[in-house]
Amino acid sequence: MTGIQLKNVTKRYQENEFETIALNDVSLTIEAGEFVAIIGPSGSGKSTFLSIAGALLQATEGEVFINEQNITHLNEKELSAVRLKQIGFILQTSNLIPYLTALDQLLVVKRMNGSVTKEDKIFATELLNDLGLEKKRNKFPNECSGGERQRIAIARAFMNDPAIILADEPTASLDTNRAHEVVKLMANEVKARQKAAVMVTHDERMLDYCDRVYRIEDGILKEETNLI
Amino acid sequence: MFLALKELIHSKGRFIMIGLIIVLISWLVFILSGLGTGLSDLAAGTLKRAEANAVVFEEGADMSISKSMLSESISDDLLRQKGVSDTAPISTFSTSIRKSGTSEESGKKTDAILIGIEPGSFIEPTSTEGKNLTDDAADQVLVDSSLKNDGFAIGDTLALSGSTEKLTIGGFTDHQTLNHQPAIFVNLDQFRTIRYAAPGSDNGIEDIVNGILVQGKDVDLNELTKADEHIEAGSKKAAVNAVPGYSAENATITMMLWFLMIISAFILGVFFYVLTNQKTQQFGVLKAIGGSNGFIIRSVISQVFVLSLISVLIGIGLTYLTTLFLPEAMPFHLEVPMVMIYSIVLLLISLISSLFSVVKIAKIDPLTALGRVE
Repeated sequence: MTGIQLKNVTKRYQENEFETIALNDVSLTIEAGEFVAIIGPSGSGKSTFLSIAGALLQATEGEVFINEQNITHLNEKELSAVRLKQIGFILQTSNLIPYLTALDQLLVVKRMNGSVTKEDKIFATELLNDLGLEKKRNKFPNECSGGERQRIAIARAFMNDPAIILADEPTASLDTNRAHEVVKLMANEVKARQKAAVMVTHDERMLDYCDRVYRIEDGILKEETNLI
Repeated sequence: MFLALKELIHSKGRFIMIGLIIVLISWLVFILSGLGTGLSDLAAGTLKRAEANAVVFEEGADMSISKSMLSESISDDLLRQKGVSDTAPISTFSTSIRKSGTSEESGKKTDAILIGIEPGSFIEPTSTEGKNLTDDAADQVLVDSSLKNDGFAIGDTLALSGSTEKLTIGGFTDHQTLNHQPAIFVNLDQFRTIRYAAPGSDNGIEDIVNGILVQGKDVDLNELTKADEHIEAGSKKAAVNAVPGYSAENATITMMLWFLMIISAFILGVFFYVLTNQKTQQFGVLKAIGGSNGFIIRSVISQVFVLSLISVLIGIGLTYLTTLFLPEAMPFHLEVPMVMIYSIVLLLISLISSLFSVVKIAKIDPLTALGRVE
């Protein structure tokens, strides 16, 4: 099995005497090739879920496995390596590096891991082509539209050939047409490259592309079975 | 290095501004350093350049050549001391010179310092033009090249105020000044004829000199003073420091230099810090997609290094360009080793000042990339 598995994960925040439970005993398994959406109102624990699944935050209780590796007790440096090798993040817009061209945005991921080979360049070009960005290869983010920027971010997430893809509100700043286009492309890539993907969103228009949908409310995760 | 260079090229405007500040600071540092060397040369060039390890004075002269009087015969005793390999007597006398044939009242006079030495002794500088001193032609002198600016040339006959003796310029040499006056090296016997013309002015000391420079490995200053009861010995550095005005000038310039360095460290530190602060979100994203602290910090440091290196090199270029336009009267002497040392210090300062930013980067939480921390 490849993918991500959360086992009874609980996250508590301590603020003075008050304790907030952001995630309450969440268990979830996503296999490779599955595209899962998580929806919920703001403050429901979506971001906490994403942060823990993305090795950005440690759970208070429970265990997290990425690609069958237990990451629960890793230190900061090891987590950074897990993010680099196993996780592809698609963040909200404006999270590209302003002074890098589309191609370099992808290659920087390889730089972090050592050096860039010829194969990496070919792979990066192929990813950009898959996402319809042939003409934007050597453009800077400020020369691209919002949808194109988000597609570059998707390509970047796939660049390190990760086990899982995590998307944080990828359609937040896009109009309906662009949003459909972006999520569709993302779903295609997830299927084609056999990744376990999680998309956190409040955009219910996008759920058709997903295999399963979970709703999170007050830290409790439930699968949605009767979607409109 | 990859990110560093890409950003430098992409955000030229921002980096040119910071680079300009480093250029200006380094320019000022090099000019001050050149001015400092120039001034200290003017005050004590001859002593600084003498390849001596120690200087012997009359007891109680406070290491000052102008206050000291002793007999040249002590040289022989000094040579017998441990470690001493050579000695060179020196006498100095401030006077004014004019071209022979002009009148004492109306002729143009130039201040100069007459330095009496033994021809061929190690204190004698090599001539850059014309001839060195010889024992045969006693009235032939070797003078500092700055006198060229006052209209003197090889073969000119010099008249000295208050003396009937005449001297002829036999050669020029560079950077030889003492007590802020251009040096005129003259045969010691000739010097005595000029300086001690009045009976009794030599205090009855036979073969009078003002000081004796000592050359030799591991010369022990205490051992040296055993050569004679009425002498004191100091290192060359002590003798240079005792030149009137030398320490005061040097301390002023040095203080200005170091203040400038310290201030620039803070200015650059603040600049780099603000720059890093603006990029918090970017660094957060890099960390979130797996960039290690080391990767980001290396990138920032290499950026600072490249920027500073280019700026300091431009600063050096500007300084050498400036020297072409400095007025002749300005004492300015840029020494290559000094330029190297200050360049390295400036580079270190900008690297150290970027350390504030490094601390900041290490603390950035990759969660900031999500843009909303719950």
